[in-house]
Amino acid sequence: MKKNSSKISTSNENYSHLELVNLGKIFFKEKKFIDFRSKGNRSGFEAIKDINLRIEKNTFVSIIGPSGCGKSTLLNLIAGLQAPTSGKIIIDGQAIKGPGPDRGVIFQNYALMPWLTTIQNIEFALNTVFPAKTKADVKERARKYLRMVGLEKASNKFPKELSGGMKQRVAIARALSINPNMLLMDEPFGALDALTRSYLQDELLSIWRKNKVTVVLITHSIEEALLLSDKIVLMSSGPSAIISEEISVDLERPRDREKIEQDPTYLKIKMRLEKHLLRETRAVEEVT
Amino acid sequence: MNKAISTRLTFVVAILSLLIFIILWQVIAQQGLLVKNFPGSFKTIGSLIWWVSDPFFDNGPNDLGIGTNLLISLRRVLIGYSLAVLVAIPLGVLMGMSKLAQSSLNPYVQLLKPVSPLAWLPVGLFVFRNSEITGIFVIFITSIWPTLINTAFGVASINPDYLRVSKSLGASKSITIRRVILPAIMPNILAGMRISMGTAWLVIVAAEMLLGTGIGYFIWNEWNNLSLENIFVAIIIIGFTGFILDQFFGFLQDKFDYSI
Repeated sequence: MKKNSSKISTSNENYSHLELVNLGKIFFKEKKFIDFRSKGNRSGFEAIKDINLRIEKNTFVSIIGPSGCGKSTLLNLIAGLQAPTSGKIIIDGQAIKGPGPDRGVIFQNYALMPWLTTIQNIEFALNTVFPAKTKADVKERARKYLRMVGLEKASNKFPKELSGGMKQRVAIARALSINPNMLLMDEPFGALDALTRSYLQDELLSIWRKNKVTVVLITHSIEEALLLSDKIVLMSSGPSAIISEEISVDLERPRDREKIEQDPTYLKIKMRLEKHLLRETRAVEEVT
Repeated sequence: MNKAISTRLTFVVAILSLLIFIILWQVIAQQGLLVKNFPGSFKTIGSLIWWVSDPFFDNGPNDLGIGTNLLISLRRVLIGYSLAVLVAIPLGVLMGMSKLAQSSLNPYVQLLKPVSPLAWLPVGLFVFRNSEITGIFVIFITSIWPTLINTAFGVASINPDYLRVSKSLGASKSITIRRVILPAIMPNILAGMRISMGTAWLVIVAAEMLLGTGIGYFIWNEWNNLSLENIFVAIIIIGFTGFILDQFFGFLQDKFDYSI
């Protein structure tokens, strides 16, 4: 496997790349003026609780769960966009305090700035993360990453002139351009049509093979998780969602989309995932 | 093909309706159908040509060319308006970003916004003892509200994805404001600035009737001369100038339209 072949002996050897320890997040209601009298005991919505997870360097991990289970919350916590209510997020042995350029984030709605061209979108990220780099350096690096996602020719186009798939490729280029060692993706292909989606999945795999990064992917597609991941993390239905299972996907890489669908291991895991998701979704739907 | 025909047709209809309007006006005035001595369109057009052919003469404050008066008004508007924009945008960004600023400043905005800016004229005259500065001050007060409110609204309703990208990259507050928030709310700022300019141009005419010089004073002066045709000339010039100013902002808004 990839992770074994490429390990370099460092002092970080003993750490997992990412470690979540008793992580929990409660969203409290905003305190209104009228609430001043009721001290303490603020009621809130507990999205996730007691999340414990270890992710090894350069592995591809998918987090899957019924909708509304707090998958995105979990990703936002890892990205440092929100602070956890309890627990710790440890990266390379260090507890994180907020967002950082060691993690590249990719959002479902691409989140490209519409007033910037594709290359300028990437340059914005580079200028923010590496303020000391010269203009020429930044431009060259931005171009390099656009080339990587095959969009060199669209460098002077604005996001509104691009298709959804192209936009997401720019977003991937932007996230990777800052040279993160972790890529956090929140349902990145959820808004794309099936064909574009498979194209981008293949693209992502080949990019992942070339750039050594740890990937955490939020998805609700079982097939996507199976095709891409080394490990699939199953979450229970919210509120107070927990990790109900971790499944290693021991399928050989590179994986062929058509061939693995015949693989007995693939089918076994797929069945298990379907059962779980169905049960958890039923739990969500039948409560209300 | 169809488009070309309809453009030509629109043009023909526009010219025709203008001709009909001019003729009707002339007939009504000549026959005294409205009131006696109401100037006809021919006389007004004659005056218009006279004023426009030599717009920049200066025979003392009560006898200025219409171009000179127009420039005086435009200068007051541009100074007061620019100062207002310089205050409104940062203040609007602050109100949009901070709940505290929003809740502490909003009552003043809501209270002062509905007041006719002309109510500030005596205050300005008392404080500044100078009609020029008072004019600028009144335009400042006029222009500030729409830009301020639109800017604050723009910041408060900004697409959270942009802010998340900026935050995930570890961008400082200053970078986020300059490189994300300000460009993102450009359409809102420009919409506010367009309304501000429209109102400022409305208000300057009224304010100048009390201040001396400027296109508004020109109207007041011609009223004292009982020269209604010159007032019509001023109305045409004011309307045309306002139209050009508005079109300029329309052009800017098109430039900064990010919609997909």
